[in-house]
Amino acid sequence: MMLRRIAAVGARSCGAALLVGGLIAVGCGGGSTGSAGGSAAVRDTLIFAAPADATTLDPHNTTDTESDQVIGMVFEGLLGFDEKMKIVGRLAETWAVAPDGVTWTFHLRHGVSFHDGTPFNADAVRRSFARVLDPAQKHKRLSLFVMLDRVDVVDDYTVNIVTKYPFGAFEPTMAHISATILNPTVADRFGADFGRSAPATSGTGPYRVVSWKKDQEIVLERVENHWRGTAPTRRLIYRPIPEGAARVLALEAGDVDVISRVPPPELKRLEASGRVTVLRTASIGAQQFRFNVTKKPLNDVRVRQAISYAIDRRAIVDRLLTGFATPSTSALTPIMRGYANLGEIAQDLEKARTLLAEAGYPNGFQTKIATTPRYPMGVELAEAVAAQLKVVGIDAAIQVYDWGTMVQFWQGLPPEKNGQEIFIMGAGASTADADWGLRPIFMTAPTNENNYGYYSNAEFDRVIQAAMRETDEVKRLALYKRAQQIVYREDPGAVWLFDNFYIVATRTGVDAVTPSPLGVVTFERAVVH
Amino acid sequence: MAAALGRTVPVLVGVSVVVFLIVHAIPGDPAVIAAGLEASPETVERIRHDLGLDRPLPEQFVTFIARAAQGELGTSIRTGSPVAQEIAARLPFTVRLAFWSILVAAVVGVLAGTVSAVRHNRAIDHAVMSITLLAVSTPSYWVALMLMLVFSVWLGLLPAIGGGTPAHYVLPVATLGLQSAGQVARMTRAALLDVLGEDYLRTARAKGVSEVRVIARHALGNVLVPLSAILGLRFGGLLAGTVLVESVFAIPGVGRMMVDAVIARDFPMIQGGVLVVATMYVAVNAVTDAIAPVLDPRLRA
Repeated sequence: MMLRRIAAVGARSCGAALLVGGLIAVGCGGGSTGSAGGSAAVRDTLIFAAPADATTLDPHNTTDTESDQVIGMVFEGLLGFDEKMKIVGRLAETWAVAPDGVTWTFHLRHGVSFHDGTPFNADAVRRSFARVLDPAQKHKRLSLFVMLDRVDVVDDYTVNIVTKYPFGAFEPTMAHISATILNPTVADRFGADFGRSAPATSGTGPYRVVSWKKDQEIVLERVENHWRGTAPTRRLIYRPIPEGAARVLALEAGDVDVISRVPPPELKRLEASGRVTVLRTASIGAQQFRFNVTKKPLNDVRVRQAISYAIDRRAIVDRLLTGFATPSTSALTPIMRGYANLGEIAQDLEKARTLLAEAGYPNGFQTKIATTPRYPMGVELAEAVAAQLKVVGIDAAIQVYDWGTMVQFWQGLPPEKNGQEIFIMGAGASTADADWGLRPIFMTAPTNENNYGYYSNAEFDRVIQAAMRETDEVKRLALYKRAQQIVYREDPGAVWLFDNFYIVATRTGVDAVTPSPLGVVTFERAVVH
Repeated sequence: MAAALGRTVPVLVGVSVVVFLIVHAIPGDPAVIAAGLEASPETVERIRHDLGLDRPLPEQFVTFIARAAQGELGTSIRTGSPVAQEIAARLPFTVRLAFWSILVAAVVGVLAGTVSAVRHNRAIDHAVMSITLLAVSTPSYWVALMLMLVFSVWLGLLPAIGGGTPAHYVLPVATLGLQSAGQVARMTRAALLDVLGEDYLRTARAKGVSEVRVIARHALGNVLVPLSAILGLRFGGLLAGTVLVESVFAIPGVGRMMVDAVIARDFPMIQGGVLVVATMYVAVNAVTDAIAPVLDPRLRA
């Protein structure tokens, strides 16, 4: 009756939500003792500095990475991602889907309890999903779970999660940070205030929240005898440092042990210093400039192809990113499920000029590039792209916006109300799956609530819809490959520049800190010397 | 004092109006930002409704003023906690930073300015004037990072970031205080030079008063009023400076909170923060006005 039965691997993960089209770079925390001298002994505290404080520790309400970072250490889902983005069992030991394609049975781990001692069981799972699905609770992550129909308790340690239709990306969705299980006792007691303070935050993760002083520090303490083992480092402190240069200096001064969002120009120097280790992992995120395809002449596929061929991605990666990224090879990044390697698009000025001439613009045209400094090197990237477009006669004026203004253009406007033409975008689907990485972003929609550039291609729509309900893995992959061919090369929806690394820097002597492709760091195995 | 208070209230009402209008005039919708990019338009609309942002602007303003008058500053959009509570948690850091900085500015500035005036046109005067010019014109962002590099990274003497212990305040206070000290020094020097040639000082010297006492008691006594006024005004610049210094040194104060609030278009937080900072500024200047007669008997007449 079961199609699949998968033994769960008790690895650690940190499910994190990256915004589709949101920021790629993120902060996560690690920690260490402040100035405890240079003894070789293992220290009991690790200090991690990210650019901002968490905004909430409620998994159902998180939309930013700084929050995900902490939530990932405190909460666990039925499933999780390992550092290679493989799905692993967490609170579920085994799981399988019935032949109907909509009923997923999860066998839960025994002997797990929440941080206050409340036992974890099927009822906790039911109440956790009931909370995120209840529209009255006004949770920001409700839209991620629209395919869920209901959660049935079979017995104390078995639940059936039923979807409204067969959903190919069900497992990644269950591994998402917003699908982690909340302590029902604490959730009931605090209601909407769950996750807003240390006492109101309770999960089953390897660390529990001890204190949270806003903008100052969040202190976590390990759970002894956690089912995944006791973490080597007793205390984690998350300390926000907004300024990039100050973060680097604090790391070099030994005030903190690990930092995220290292300013790219500093990376080479830090690596050479010998006192700092730079860790990088291929990220789910890619940096692109997207087209508003409703604007003339960007509505012409030849013009968009010409722009794509005019760009020298290698030069941008080597010079601006000093090599800390890899040129894109598809509309998805290699770490994502469903990725197909379609090769780098090399600069070809002849082809670009020919395509422009065919489209009726032999002398180029004028356009606009919108960008925001919130993306690392956001302004510099726009300048580089504009300079390269100039070579084929395209005159692009750069408009720099702050984040709050930028997102105004992406809030579900009809095309006539959106003046953007080419705009920067960092995309990375927080489920690390092709469905979430392509469907909301490029499927035809009347407004640009997620499809910010009004991309529309009939074949792409058909392929994506078929793939979404396809549970046969081979067929599903073939469909996604076709979708990527369309949007990446044939009818480009964007200029994909490069796939990001997620980069963190640690003080030398801090070991086993693991950055995840989702843009968060996990510390449950970290050792601080 | 009553008169000072009478002037304070209209100023604060004016500040509220201006802040409210500016906050609503800048592009950017807090509901969109709060919902995150993966949110559906329904989610955004619901958040907007919950925040009262779908009400007409005049109605929002009246609600804001009515609540603010009762000390009720609303709820932060970004964190969901009461604004008053968020500010209360951060205010001590900013007050501590501002207090020590103004103290450093006053002590260092008056000393340097006095030495400079007394040794007018000598080498030490030129040195002090060059240094203060440098202090006034160097961007505090750069100064902050340089101090961190030298004292935290190279010498390892002081913590680079944070606001936990007195040691954490040395570098931020140096950054903010020394910049203000430069201005205070230049102003003290100019005021002293005006009075140093006056008859009453010659009289004091003639009757055998020591030179130190001549300067400290008789000359400086006369520049105290303009000095206190300058310090009061500098306090405003200092509060503005805390925005940057708190960000660089990662001090969890009101200035940094305001930056985050502006980025998130967290209207209640911006309005509440500006109101509190404006109140502090107005209060400090009301105090300097009030103590002027104490410092100068001529004003008591």
